[in-house]
Amino acid sequence: MKLNTNQPSFSSYKRDNHLFDEIFTKNDEVKEVYKTLLNLYSEHSIQDYARLNEKAKASFFNQGITFQVYGEHETKEKIFPFDLFPRIIDHKEWSHIEKGVLQRSKALNHFLWDIYHDKKILKQGIVPLDLINSSANYLDQMQGLNPPGGIYNHISGTDLIKHSDGNYYVLEDNIRCPSGVSYVICNRTALKRALFGVFNHYQTHTVTDYAENLLEIMESVKPQGVDNPTCVVITPGIYNSAYYEHSYLAKAMGVELVEGRDLFVENDFVYMRTINGPQKVDVIYRRIDDIFMDPLEFRPDSTLGVPGLLAAYKLGNVCLVNAPGTGVADDKAIYTYMPQIIKYYLGEEPILNNVHTYHCNRPDELKYVLENIDKLVVKPVDEAGGYGISIGNKLTKAEIEKVKAVIKENPRKYIAQPIMSLSVHATYIEDSQSFEPRHVDLRTFCLLGKDKSFVLKGGLTRVALKKGNLIVNSSQGGGSKDTWVLKK
Amino acid sequence: MALNYVIKYAATNTYENFVDEALWQFLIAPLNAKSQQVISSEFKNSLHIPVEKSINGYGFETFRVHPKKRFKSIDFEAEFHVIKDQFNPFEKTSDLSIEEEISELNSLNFKVEHSAFLKSTTLTKLPVSHEIDFVYDEEVSIFENLKNLNNWIFDIFSFKTDVTDVDTDLDMILEEKQGVCQDFTHLFCAIARSYRIPTRYISGYLHQGNGYFGDSQMHAWAEAFIPGCGWVGFDPTNNLIAAENHIKVADGKDYSDCPPIKGIVYTSGKNHTKYSVEVHAQQNAQQ
Amino acid sequence: MLARVANNLFWMGRYIERSEHVARYLNVNYFSSLDAPNELSQSRQFVLRSMLFMASDPVTDPNIELDEGQVLFDIALNKEKPDSIINYLQYARENANSARDLISTELYESLNKFYHYTLNYSPEKFMKSGLYEFTVHVAESTSILRGKIRGTLLHDDVYSIIMLGINIERATQIIRIINAKYNDANLAGGSYGDHLKNSYEWTTLLKCAESYDMMRRYYKKAPRSLITLEFLILNPNCPRSIMNSLNQVSRHISDLSKSKTPDKNSAEFLVGKVRAEYEFKLIEEIEEDLQGFIEKILNTLNDIAKKIEIEYFL
Repeated sequence: MKLNTNQPSFSSYKRDNHLFDEIFTKNDEVKEVYKTLLNLYSEHSIQDYARLNEKAKASFFNQGITFQVYGEHETKEKIFPFDLFPRIIDHKEWSHIEKGVLQRSKALNHFLWDIYHDKKILKQGIVPLDLINSSANYLDQMQGLNPPGGIYNHISGTDLIKHSDGNYYVLEDNIRCPSGVSYVICNRTALKRALFGVFNHYQTHTVTDYAENLLEIMESVKPQGVDNPTCVVITPGIYNSAYYEHSYLAKAMGVELVEGRDLFVENDFVYMRTINGPQKVDVIYRRIDDIFMDPLEFRPDSTLGVPGLLAAYKLGNVCLVNAPGTGVADDKAIYTYMPQIIKYYLGEEPILNNVHTYHCNRPDELKYVLENIDKLVVKPVDEAGGYGISIGNKLTKAEIEKVKAVIKENPRKYIAQPIMSLSVHATYIEDSQSFEPRHVDLRTFCLLGKDKSFVLKGGLTRVALKKGNLIVNSSQGGGSKDTWVLKK
Repeated sequence: MALNYVIKYAATNTYENFVDEALWQFLIAPLNAKSQQVISSEFKNSLHIPVEKSINGYGFETFRVHPKKRFKSIDFEAEFHVIKDQFNPFEKTSDLSIEEEISELNSLNFKVEHSAFLKSTTLTKLPVSHEIDFVYDEEVSIFENLKNLNNWIFDIFSFKTDVTDVDTDLDMILEEKQGVCQDFTHLFCAIARSYRIPTRYISGYLHQGNGYFGDSQMHAWAEAFIPGCGWVGFDPTNNLIAAENHIKVADGKDYSDCPPIKGIVYTSGKNHTKYSVEVHAQQNAQQ
Repeated sequence: MLARVANNLFWMGRYIERSEHVARYLNVNYFSSLDAPNELSQSRQFVLRSMLFMASDPVTDPNIELDEGQVLFDIALNKEKPDSIINYLQYARENANSARDLISTELYESLNKFYHYTLNYSPEKFMKSGLYEFTVHVAESTSILRGKIRGTLLHDDVYSIIMLGINIERATQIIRIINAKYNDANLAGGSYGDHLKNSYEWTTLLKCAESYDMMRRYYKKAPRSLITLEFLILNPNCPRSIMNSLNQVSRHISDLSKSKTPDKNSAEFLVGKVRAEYEFKLIEEIEEDLQGFIEKILNTLNDIAKKIEIEYFL
């Protein structure tokens, strides 16, 4: 079976041999796992497909599965664009990913314990002290604190890409408040509804068990002396761009979705205000950033947090998920030491590759970066959401000079990596009414609890809908795909 | 020999309009430690709101007051009894040679161990724009150098209230050459840290029987970690080595880690706060 | 359930209910005035004043010339006006948003669709030809929402709180409508002999409360003031009556409080007391001082809502 550009739906599919195509081999052969899918798709006309696509979009919108886009003048409600062409990962490939992300999550947890306790890895000079000292996300208040169950990063979202060499590389680990898992589940629901005939030809792992596993993980890190912990999810409120996800998770776990103002601390215990009076809270999945958590300890003007929360946490009366101060470990500068971190704590070779990274704070590497900027992606160390990234081969000469000047001004703030060519996947493009290759990445979700771990068998395949665009973040016009992990 | 202290802290907050919601956290209780023993501790308020004891982010004891009813005025009163050992701070210097001290400061292990108090913070950042003419003398010990630093600050800067506030950075202090104990302590921390000496900001009480600056308010000084010796207190405001007259409450990287009071108050209109501190001492011959 | 979220659900119920009554008031008054039997009832200015009287702030100055398009737009679709239908729906949806983990996807989806329908309804179309379509859509959608509330939620605290909001609002709106029509009837006078008692406005009143057909069936008479008021205030079987709303409030509040002997300062006690009073009330007593009654019952409803707030939402 081969790529057939005579078929209207694939008429504008231009395969690029420099890129790794998830569906077609270099000889235009359809890869094994996609054969059934493409066969079934060929029975549908592109009009059918367009109609299904519209219906799925309307369903997302009506259910209010939307996020807010903040413009200059008005805030718009938008759906996260969703592509009906699923990404399929076979059993073998998945088990490699699963082991790899679990290994990273565990190593990061060891790392966090260490840098908030004895700091052995720093004393031995394996990770430079300077990186920790200069990190705004290191919280001195966490020094010496033993989080319940010994867990810091209960929830980790690791972003992976497949490079043109066919190997997976980790782009970053997100261990503050990684989001996107609700989209994984919504995508699955939407896809099952639209293409149930296709779905039942594959043996795909479920993704709806995420919430029950999350609840188990939360319960496993309950404070000492609590039998049946009361767990809650705390959200900044309905105007937060991830509010849908917060409400989804609370609903799916059957726990309360609270805001800071619903909680209060008395005698170092946390309570929520209910219609039947105060109720003690034991485990909090917090979707607010560290600095907003407790106005007595961090930003005094924060109204999102709960005064006294940190003290209650330090005294072991409540568990925060993820722990405060985890941000120090998902810093892009720390990322570059991940292979060493894994070896140091686990005595294992890293299962997943790191992208080679140049540190602009090292003079010789800075020199290389400045000389080869057209071949590199330059990123600020501490900014999330795809902001401030420049991709060398997309820049004009003037822009290159500008980026160079910015780096020189504050080299510590930047790292550079070779331009990784994200793999491409057939994606429905509304303008051309056909499938075209688009760049994709993969966010995985890993949970760590006391004597328990879980990796969601699936993930969020994010797709850059703009042709040639490498940035897949939703705030930068990215969409997503359902991701099927096959059982066999 | 020991000294018996009675410390009285009083504050009154008045508001133009009713306060609907408020929460205060006081970090004013003397630290119970080896050289200072807290015998009793009492904290009251005029609204008879139950006082909660808790800790701040660095584990120091706090009092929390959370009124449940609206009010326009509230008084706070605290009384602490502390027994403080008398000792000669000059006895407690390092056994290490100058080279050994420096090599300890330069060891990675030491830097990591004390990293919290080696970092520069917003309030202890030395501005590049100002030349600092304090010179570290490599021929003498760390202790001697810190004494010189203490002396240098005391000589060059003059004590003056209402020129600076709790957010004033060093740029301004170096420019004006005046300020209060917080400012001098920040400067001390900044300079000592620039020589890789771990230094922390101390909030506490000063027994001011001898006319020291610190004037019926809470006081601030610095503690530096000297290899082979440990933490030694320096009070640049009074050019003293902190000893039995200095009663420590808490420490931090700078003022913002250990302000005596933090409050979240929801009200409109003007408000007025006044507070006072009294420290009385008596020699305790029995001890 | 969180106290804040309970408050949100209570107000979600209230705003859904309010939007329906306002929409129907616009619809019924506008269309029945077109062929009203007396001149004043037919007058545009008269009808627009009546609408403002019921839905927002009354305009009493006779020298002000109201613009029909503006008045209708303000009440239905003007986002700048806090008491427009579109804003009620926005508030309802925001309230639902913050309770999203507690309500069914079906209920949320219906409310969301309804909100977007209103949001996207073109004001030009509304003023040119859409008044009927729009107001009927609002009334029908609220009916769907009530169905989803009853049919897809657990009948637990969440349900009780929403139903409390709906029923307190319903009683409030019915009283407001009675007040407005009583005011109209006073101004218009009757068409046949006894002015106030036989006014055409009583028919409109019943239609505004969607109770005209059932009232005819029950009394088998043309609406006159006394029986209309009796039906809308005291008849426990009329789904829109004050009595029925109070009965509902009473039921849901006792589900919520779970106490056998309510505290005498509680909302539950007050509801029971008011119910007992109206159960044996004669409509003649009310008619003697209808204005006084209207003020009193509005105050009572307010007190009940306040007590609920203090007991459950803080």
